[in-house]
Order: sequence, then C-alpha cells, then structure tokens
Amino acid sequence: MGDKPVGPEPTGRNVDGEAPVEQPETVTDEAIVHDEETELERTIGLVGGLAIGIGTMIGAGIFVFPGLAASTAGPAASLSFAIGGGIALLVALPTAELATAMPRSGGGYYFISRGLGTAAGAIVGLGLWLGLVFAAAFYLVGLGHYATAVLAEAGVELGVDPVVAIGLLFGLALTALSIGGTENTAKLQNGVVGALLVVLTVFLTYGVLDAFGAFGGQNTPEAFFSQGTFPVLTTAALVFTSYLGFAQVATVAGEIKDPGRNLPLAMIGSVLVVTVFYVVTIFVATSAFGADRLGTFGETAMVEVAREFLGLPGAVAILFAGLLATFSSANASILSASRAVYALSRDALLPRRASEVNLRFGTPHVALFAAGGPILVLIATGRVELLAEVASFLHLVMYGLICVALVVLRRRNPTWYTPSYRVPGYPAVPAVGAVASFGLIAFMQPASIVVGAVLMVLSYLWYRYYASGVTLKGAL
Amino acid sequence: MTDRPCILVPIRVLDGESIPDGVPELLANAYVVLLGYHVVPDQTATGQAKMQFEERANARLDKYESILRDAGATVERRLVFTHDGQKTLDRISDEHDCLAVLVPNGTRPPEEVLVAVRGTAGVSRIAEAVAGLFSSTDVAVTLYHVTETNETDDDIETFLNGVRDRMTELGMDASAVDTRTDTEQKRLGAIATAAEEYDALVMGESDPSLTTFVFGMPAEQIADRFHGPVFVVQREASESS
Repeated sequence: MGDKPVGPEPTGRNVDGEAPVEQPETVTDEAIVHDEETELERTIGLVGGLAIGIGTMIGAGIFVFPGLAASTAGPAASLSFAIGGGIALLVALPTAELATAMPRSGGGYYFISRGLGTAAGAIVGLGLWLGLVFAAAFYLVGLGHYATAVLAEAGVELGVDPVVAIGLLFGLALTALSIGGTENTAKLQNGVVGALLVVLTVFLTYGVLDAFGAFGGQNTPEAFFSQGTFPVLTTAALVFTSYLGFAQVATVAGEIKDPGRNLPLAMIGSVLVVTVFYVVTIFVATSAFGADRLGTFGETAMVEVAREFLGLPGAVAILFAGLLATFSSANASILSASRAVYALSRDALLPRRASEVNLRFGTPHVALFAAGGPILVLIATGRVELLAEVASFLHLVMYGLICVALVVLRRRNPTWYTPSYRVPGYPAVPAVGAVASFGLIAFMQPASIVVGAVLMVLSYLWYRYYASGVTLKGAL
Repeated sequence: MTDRPCILVPIRVLDGESIPDGVPELLANAYVVLLGYHVVPDQTATGQAKMQFEERANARLDKYESILRDAGATVERRLVFTHDGQKTLDRISDEHDCLAVLVPNGTRPPEEVLVAVRGTAGVSRIAEAVAGLFSSTDVAVTLYHVTETNETDDDIETFLNGVRDRMTELGMDASAVDTRTDTEQKRLGAIATAAEEYDALVMGESDPSLTTFVFGMPAEQIADRFHGPVFVVQREASESS
C-alpha cells in the first residue's frame, strides 16, 4: 500500500463553531502523515491486533453465557454460538475491506459516516460508544459473578449479594487505571490473552476427550434441539454480545502497522479463533452435565464444569481465567469507547473538549470518564441479559450499516476508495451480512429493542441539534 | 567531500528535552534530521495527542530548527506522535539513511572529540561521519581503542593508522587526528571514563538496532558517567536489516 488519500474532506461546523479536523495527506504502512510534516506512528502489529479482537471477545461467550444459553436452547446452544460466529464473519469480511480503504481511528463509525453520511454516522458513532458502554457494564457484572464465586470458594460468606458492588468497584478501578494508567496496557493485554488461550486449550482438550468417553466417564446424552429450534435463534441474538470484539480492531485502525495486511487478518482471524473456542466450550459444557443442569448454575457454570472434570484445581483455574477474561474484555471496551468519543469529537459531532488529553498522564481523561461514568450506572442495574442484548442491538445496527456502506461505496466508487483487501463473494456476502445483522435483532427481547431504539433516536436528535451543519460524506 | 553527513537528532519535544548548549556548534556541518517526537500511552489515540499538542510541539521545533540553522546546519524536521519511541527513531533513521544518531547532551563549544573504534566493521561510516562533521573545523579528534586479549600492539597501530588514513582521505587534517589506546577490561566503562576529558563522543552501534543502543543498557552505562553528547554511528541499512 503506497501513499494515498483515505477519505472525503469533511466540511461544515457544529453549534460550538468547531469544524472537523482536516484529513491527513497520505497514509502509509508505517505512519499517517498530515501536512506540516506531522506524523502518527503505527505501532500495533498483527499480534496486538489479534489480542484486541480475541481479548475483547473471548470473555463473555465462555465465562458468562454457557449456563444462560444452555437453559434456553439446550445442547443446540452450541449451534447458537456457531450462528453468531457465522454472522460475525459475514460482517468481519466487509469491515476488513473498509478498514483497508480507510485505516483511521473510529472503526465502524468512520466507515459509515464516510459512506452513508453524517446523520447515519452520528447515530452509529454515538451508538458505538453506548454499545461499548453497555458491553463493558455487562462484562463487569460477569466479573462480579466470578469474584463472588471466588469468595464463595474461599469460604467467605457475605450478607448481601456482592455481584453489583464488585462490578462497580472494578469499573471504578479500570477507569482510574486507564486515566492514571500504565504505559504498557497493550503488552499486558497480549499476555492476558495468551495465558487465557493456553488455559482454555488444555481444559477444552481434556473436556472433548472426556465427552467422547476417553476417560470412561458417563455422558449425558440428550436431544440436540431439546427446547425446539426457535430458542436457538433467540439465544444466538443473546450471545452475539460474545462477538463484539472484531470491530474493536477497526477502532484502532489508525495505529495498526501495515493495515492492508494486518487489519483483515486480525479481524477475520479473531472471529474464527473465538468461534471455535465458543462452540467447543458449549459442546464440552453440555456434555458434562446436560443442558438443564448446566442452566441452573447461572453465570459461573463453567466453574462447575471444570470442577466436574478436574476437581478443585480445575475450578480454581477456571475462576482465575474467568476473572482475567472478563477484566480484559471490559478493559478493551472502555478503551475502544474512548477511541469512539475521540473519533466523534475529531469530526465535530461531539465538543472538541471531549477528546482532551490530560497533561499529567497523557491520557484522554474526558473520554475515559465519558465511558466509565455511564458504565457504573449500568452496572448498578445488574441486569446481565438486558445489558448484553442492548449492546448487541447497537452493534448489530452498526454491523448491518457497515455492510450497506460497503455496497454504497463500491457503487459510487469515489477516487479515494482503493481497498487493498476486497471481500470475496461481493455483493452476496455484504448483502447476507446486512440481512443477518438486522434479522438477528428481531429475535431479541422487546425490552432490549425498545431501549436500543430509544438510544438511536436520542443520538439522531443530538446530531440534529448539535452538528446538523457538518458534512462528512464527500460530494460525488 | 561536499555531502553533509546525515545526523538524526531525536528530541522528546514535549517532555522538556531541547537542544542543549554546544550541540548546534557540533552539528554545524551536518544535514540534521530534527525529529520531535512524543510518546503517548496505549490508551490514548496518537491522533488525539496530535490534536492537542501539535501546535505547542511545532512552536518548540521552530525554535530548535532556527538555532541549528544559525549554527550552519542544514535542517529537515519531522514531528511524530507514537506509542513506541524506538520504532519511530528506527523508521525515521532508515528513511533518511542517517549516518548517526545524536544523543543530545549539553557540552561546551566542541574542541576535542573522542572517537571510539572497535573492529573494521562500520569503521568507514564512522570515518565518514567524523570527517563530514569536523574536517572544516578546528576540532581535534582522538581515535580511541580498547585492546582486546588477542590483539598485538602492531595490529592496533595498523588498524588505527588505517582509520586515520581514511579520515584524511575524506578531508580531515592529519595533524588533527590523534590516537589513544587502553587495556581496561570493560570496554564501555573505559570509553565512558575516557570521554569525560572530551567534549563529545562518537561511537559505533553495538547492536543490530541503533536505537536499542540509545535507549538500552549500554547507553545508560555511558550516560551515567559521560554527560556530553554522543554520536552513535549506525550500521548500513543492509547490515542492520
């Protein structure tokens, strides 16, 4: 990929009189070059990109959902996860193409605002921020469940239910950590993800062997569609939250080295890796106990599965892995949410102040507060399924629109649109991706759809009030 | 030689680093790539730091650029926001094919410069850098070598004379080049101690990556004892990759 422009020049001003920041002149494999010789170094490699994708996704599907999913869909819950993975892949492919054409921070928001215009961009951009806020709150409630289980394992009895309190505590700690933060969060994330994958691989290998009777244990055979086929789809809608990581890779697209190669590999690779882990996990978990009994264990069902296989050490290992995974997912979501706020304020859809960088720590404290504050409020509700579904809803809208944006950009074919990766099976893949994304929304609980829709309407009204003068889509 | 040696001068422009006294004189005959860089933590988008700090960084670079120009240097400047300072230094140095990187510590106006040479590898680039920087000045150069166990005095004399000849070919006045040897065990310590008597130090890159030297262990050892400016002459791009 050589030097080339990466998007239309935005124009206009918002209510505060701020204009979008100008486009860079050129984008290379190693840096983004603005005029006056200012450059932004690209420093995240393929491993870093995969760690962001996998690290965000690997938590929820394994450590929060198995019990919930098994109770509604039976053993077919593994099919629900496979459906979720399939949809994620259908969206990851078009996202990868767009990301190589526009390797700038902001991810899905950036592609949609440039492909479909400012209004759609504003709805999706604010939706992305809120979606990540809901997702992070969901991960932190999951973390609360795991921490509570750790306390129970240690024999500590608490009078009150500590799940929400622990979630709040960690939410606060994570926000403070990212504001005052260490320099090497990315390296930490890589290490956490690597350790997780090792623990899970060992555990799942043992589980799969056991499920096929290798250790002479007794299986619990049961009908695959024990709850019928419809719950498989509603479960797929619920657990789709487990796949909200690959687009996070695109939110840091501006910082990824050799984006033409690394962005598609990181996004598609992380979806494939995570899908395999999820499907195998559910298979192992339902084989160990049967779906009904698994369902009664709730959010920390995997601990019981591990205890069944490997006794107390297994339970402890999975508890530890669960803490790491939910922590890493929540951390990644907070950071992505703050990147989303930055991208919006760069484009004058939010006040410029929102992306202000703290002088002392060099961190975007306003944007991090804008992520951390609402997260704490949402944790306080303690509603795992609702939080997960609203997060899914907001992301699914974005994913559907990403596919639409791809089709629109391919048809308009502006001069700056020269992706180095092209989605296979165009136009079928983005078309099916869009239909599947919007279609999955129909299988959600009405409450989640209402909350999500209200948030979208509020986002649109904000855009009308604050930034109706801003144009982000280039003229034809 | 008409070509000016390309010297990379990295400055952490927003962390209080600047061009110290004496350094502009040292670079009077150089083609300086003035690199202002700012390292931001992972949780901050580089673009975000740019939005806020670009103006301030450019104002400072303006000042440093004119100081260097006034001293006689040719200056090109870059401003980079990065998560990884080392990667930035490596990339910019590669792009400009820089002969050396300067660790810009303060000094008095340079009169005597210590040039540490080891083996034949990289010596011609060291000679090129030294001759380019100092051949048209009054600066006196001392070639410095720490003897290793399997070397005879004759070997060393032949080697140092060879380096001196090379510098003379490139325009240095032969009388301005002196030689000195030491037999201490620890090479870096010996260099740092010897350098204290001089105004600046020129040495070769000891690692495949030049900048691991700048940020890594040997640099700390040198910097602990020698507070003057250090030119680290890079290997050729083909050697280091």
